[in-house]
Amino acid sequence: MTKEPVPTAQGLERLVEALRVLPGVGPKSAQRMAYQLLQRDRAGADQLAVSLRHALDTVRHCAKCNNFTEGELCSLCESSRRDSTLLCIVETPADLAMVEQTSSYSGMYFVLMGRLSPLDGVGPRDIGLDRLLARATDGEVQEVILATNFTNEGEATAHYIAEMLRSRGIRVSRIARGVPLGGELEYVDAGTLSQALMERRAL
Amino acid sequence: MAQSRRRVEHEPAFVLHSYPYKETSLIIEAFSRRQGRTALLAKGARRPRSAMRGVLHAFQPLRLSWTGSGELNTLVGAEWEGGMPFLRGFGLMCGFYVNELILRLLPRDDAHEALFDAYAGSLARLGRGEPTAGVLRGFEKRLLAELGYAMLLDRDAASGAPIDPAMHYLYDPERGPLPVNGGAGGEMVVRGSTLLDLDRDEFASAETLHQSRGLMRALIGQRLHGQTLHTRSVLLELQDL
Repeated sequence: MTKEPVPTAQGLERLVEALRVLPGVGPKSAQRMAYQLLQRDRAGADQLAVSLRHALDTVRHCAKCNNFTEGELCSLCESSRRDSTLLCIVETPADLAMVEQTSSYSGMYFVLMGRLSPLDGVGPRDIGLDRLLARATDGEVQEVILATNFTNEGEATAHYIAEMLRSRGIRVSRIARGVPLGGELEYVDAGTLSQALMERRAL
Repeated sequence: MAQSRRRVEHEPAFVLHSYPYKETSLIIEAFSRRQGRTALLAKGARRPRSAMRGVLHAFQPLRLSWTGSGELNTLVGAEWEGGMPFLRGFGLMCGFYVNELILRLLPRDDAHEALFDAYAGSLARLGRGEPTAGVLRGFEKRLLAELGYAMLLDRDAASGAPIDPAMHYLYDPERGPLPVNGGAGGEMVVRGSTLLDLDRDEFASAETLHQSRGLMRALIGQRLHGQTLHTRSVLLELQDL
């Protein structure tokens, strides 16, 4: 006996399919989300649809720092209180937010929106190094601070940016690494500790 | 047929590459000494406070423990072995290249202990800042041999006569060096001295460096069946900066 197909609506199917673009969302979770939106929270679903459309229409990259913004420039790049001779390079907007939270940096930023990842075929063109070069050599910037991650990919990214900028006479520095604040050596992982020993400084 | 679950303990291994998996996990492509290349699921390794975060670092000798016998095993422990200098700059790019060669060419779950040791040795030399060309050619040669394509470098493949350093040879991937007249004919045509230097891992001569690079690229290209290496195209893009 052949089973009758489960009745379904085309709109529902399309929604389930569309939800799968989200990271970590497979067919099962997508279906759960779709039911939640259509059955239990239609107002929330409407808001989601409107804000998604709005964000797509208005959010773009800042012409100076490449971060997300609604205008030509983001508020940080337009601010007159920032030190425009310093340029800090981070991989993601989340990294920028983290550096801002420290309240110990008052310069400008450039957000790469990624990192070099040779094994995945992510090269300099994919992370906008040409735009960074234009920004860093605009005459205002005097020091570039590399705050990419301390992963092999982040290190490779920092290395190539440093080479590219140094050959054009710009001062380049890299944020320091080592034992975290309040860290007890007994509990620090061996990789971090061995780096801290290698990069020790004179007192 | 279902195999019984296996447990591998404290196996010397390197992380070749890792990919994010679901919200907080990683899939690790590892190269271990006695189990060869294997894929491991590191659950929760991307959580902010994960103990594995600072350990699962490529190019560093680790001791890994895992369970399972399928396509994807579960990582249950990772310890830092240490003692290896960190790769930096161009040496780091060479490390990515070597990892891509292993990922593309070495089949999974085949032990290659000699290659593992050669890999560890190559990373140490790159970390110490030795000239990269010699390290890479030596590793490529070793990799081809482990894959069953050991190079014939000291004898003429047709007559069995010793290689004459002054003569030119066409390197036939299936047979080995065949004498030819003149030096034209692409990357597969090299001088006898290049073959002998490659055999002895001596890369002092500029001609040897140049010709062995082309020859190994062509031979590895054959094993890749026309696929291009990501690391090579990224390096070419970087040179244009």
